[in-house]
Amino acid sequence: MARYRLHVNGERREVDVDARTPLLWALREQLGLLGPKYGCGVGACGACTSLVDGEAARPCVTTVAEAQGRRITTIEGLSEDGDHPVQQAWLELDVAQCGYCQPGQIMSTVALLATNPDPDDAEIDEALRDNVCRCGTYTRVRAAVRRAAQLTRGRR
Amino acid sequence: MRVSRRTFLGGALVVSVPMTLTDVAGVASAADEFAPNVFVRLDDRGRITATVPKPDSGQGVRTMVALLVAEELMVGPDDVRPEQAHGDTARFGSQGVGNSFSARQLSEPVRRAAATARCLLVAAAARRWGVPVEECTARDGAVRHGRRVLRYGSLVRDAAALDPTTVPVTLTPPERWRLLGRTRAGRVDAKAIVTGKARYGIDTRPPGALVAVVARPPWIGATVDAVDDSAARAVPGVVAVTALDPATSGQGGVAVIARSMPEALRGREALRVTWRGGTPTADSRQWLAELETALPAVPAAPGPVAFEATYKLPLLAHAPMEPMNSTAHVTATGITVWTPTQDPGTLRAMLAGQFGLDQADVRVEPTLTGGAFGRRIEPDPVLEAVACSRAAGAPVSVLWTRDDDMRHDSYRPMSVHRLSAVVDASGVPTWRAHGIATWPLTIMPFFNNPAIIKAAGDHFPYSVPGRVDVTLRDAPLRTGFWRAVYAGQFQYAEESFLGELGHRAGLDQVDLRRRLLPADSRLRRVLDAAVERAGGVRPGATRGVACHDDYGSVIAVIADGSDGRLRRVTAAVDVGPVLHPSGVRAQVEGGVMDAVSTVSGAQITVRDGRVVQSSFRDYAWARIDQAPDIDVVLVRSDAPIGGLGELAFPPAAAAVAFVTGRPVTGMPVGVEVG
Repeated sequence: MARYRLHVNGERREVDVDARTPLLWALREQLGLLGPKYGCGVGACGACTSLVDGEAARPCVTTVAEAQGRRITTIEGLSEDGDHPVQQAWLELDVAQCGYCQPGQIMSTVALLATNPDPDDAEIDEALRDNVCRCGTYTRVRAAVRRAAQLTRGRR
Repeated sequence: MRVSRRTFLGGALVVSVPMTLTDVAGVASAADEFAPNVFVRLDDRGRITATVPKPDSGQGVRTMVALLVAEELMVGPDDVRPEQAHGDTARFGSQGVGNSFSARQLSEPVRRAAATARCLLVAAAARRWGVPVEECTARDGAVRHGRRVLRYGSLVRDAAALDPTTVPVTLTPPERWRLLGRTRAGRVDAKAIVTGKARYGIDTRPPGALVAVVARPPWIGATVDAVDDSAARAVPGVVAVTALDPATSGQGGVAVIARSMPEALRGREALRVTWRGGTPTADSRQWLAELETALPAVPAAPGPVAFEATYKLPLLAHAPMEPMNSTAHVTATGITVWTPTQDPGTLRAMLAGQFGLDQADVRVEPTLTGGAFGRRIEPDPVLEAVACSRAAGAPVSVLWTRDDDMRHDSYRPMSVHRLSAVVDASGVPTWRAHGIATWPLTIMPFFNNPAIIKAAGDHFPYSVPGRVDVTLRDAPLRTGFWRAVYAGQFQYAEESFLGELGHRAGLDQVDLRRRLLPADSRLRRVLDAAVERAGGVRPGATRGVACHDDYGSVIAVIADGSDGRLRRVTAAVDVGPVLHPSGVRAQVEGGVMDAVSTVSGAQITVRDGRVVQSSFRDYAWARIDQAPDIDVVLVRSDAPIGGLGELAFPPAAAAVAFVTGRPVTGMPVGVEVG
């Protein structure tokens, strides 16, 4: 066990865990951030997708040691009450069914729009193809990403 | 008689007649609130709470109940707070989610419950003003008479004091609905979901709770022979190790209980278990071959058989995004369970029975559910959590890894279908035969009966006489409900066969089906609506068409694509009255995507007694780049409300398969099955 300093959602937090501990479990069990979901533990489903230094990352296959010193943003850090343009687009399109994968879908979208403010469908598909949705919300996800891009441009 | 399979859920006879008001009346109201029945209550500030008796696994029952209550209480959808009911069938009626029953079972009683509340509030206001009830109206959370206004909150005490049997209750007729069928509102939990605040089973961790993972049988049917847990117990954070008896505690294995999930996983890695028994050489290709051999004989046809084809269907896993999990706290006096379940009421009764407790001492709190698809009817994760909590003397959350979830599922059975037909001069079938060899559902002995499985699966919607024969073989692994289960097999084969028949005869796929449907039928109407929306077939393009009639609803699905690539799916659905338009579309979209996934490559295979697939890396569930455009047409009718959750998958699979790669010989298309 060792202490690690994490920079999560704009706050400095400390966790006391084994170095091999996946960031996901430190976030969920130590810091009470339950938005990133466990879906596979092997980086194959995207349910835990969060931002590490602004890029989409999989906390289930990122160790706490690797995450130390980097800026981590989980779904909880996106906005106070859901007014981030990506969240707004998700609400407008009523994307979610069970909702379990949606924090990951949203965080992947945030990372995409940060580098590509006007993605076409092929670029959306490429950026989100590792986020599995078992309920089948993909057509709405695609539409919501387009809408989020519009909303984001409108705010600039 | 059609056998309703969910009637027999949990081995207990659940009467599926909708609850009447008398079943739900008689709730004592607290002094500062008005609770005319179990579904609706208002406090003295006018806040409205709707009790949702069934759990939500994404099918939208919480949104549906909130909208039903908002409609009848004449308020906006955001003015109703949904509250999830704990397991208690005596209080809430059937709480099972299955057989696409939720809307059929709940819409009438919940509407009536909310309308009762409204009529009592209006009666209380009329009495206070000394005017006839007929002169008062309810609107926007208040009762009005001319310019006078009384907010609901100021009426709750008076309304609670009225004798409900003296106040006539009138439902708002569908033609006057403001919200139901019209609202653009999204689901009630949408904001919690997009902000990461929605809480699922996996998010439950009561104070002092430990977490457990289970070393599970490495091959099918294996049981624990010996355990050396010394190294596991030495892992920092591991608190206890306990064997799980498959007779009482789920599927068996050895649980490692620890302070945190990573520590539990490290403990499991350090565990040394030897296993015995089971079927370490089982192979799903062999199972498929045995089913093919077991096919029923083709019955004597009334003429020359024009065409015969065989279809092979694989094992399918549920693989909900939220893996199986459950949290339990066993104390000296009772059990509390927090779990993503499809049936909290039956679960509570089952736990009370198994552990010799009064139902009052068993509390089942259903959480939001990250997908279910039939899997969460089963109690195995709950039984594991109960066993672990007993062993640890603390609340314990059992979490399955994805690998555990995929390899220890109750799979949709494999099946082999042989179809043959006699056709008329134009190639339209005049007689059909469909022989099926498949397995029963091991999780429900009731299904070990060919007649029951035939009733569940045979929903051939066209007017072609013929024979359907089912042969059952013992299931060689756990099998269970999976969205549409047998109808998903039978209708896939039927529509694939009909599509091929039509193609061989040079018939248009839509015209062929129109000729087999009465002109004034609901199914004909949705087929026409789907065709109208889909437009013409582009040159060089392929169009797959399939229909389905089940759960009191009808649907037609048109899949368009070219060169084996699916581009667009158009579905027209008639569920009777539409309640939540976005939710209805979502269920159809979900069924279509299940079709894309299962047709394009998702299947479970078994080699050397082990399920090969362990994550979404090798269980090839569809990704966003495989998603077609999906257009859902809502065809409204005055038919009684029908079920929807499972309706779209069977026909969508057949329509998509036709586009993806005919001749279709099985599922997935173009991949070796098994």
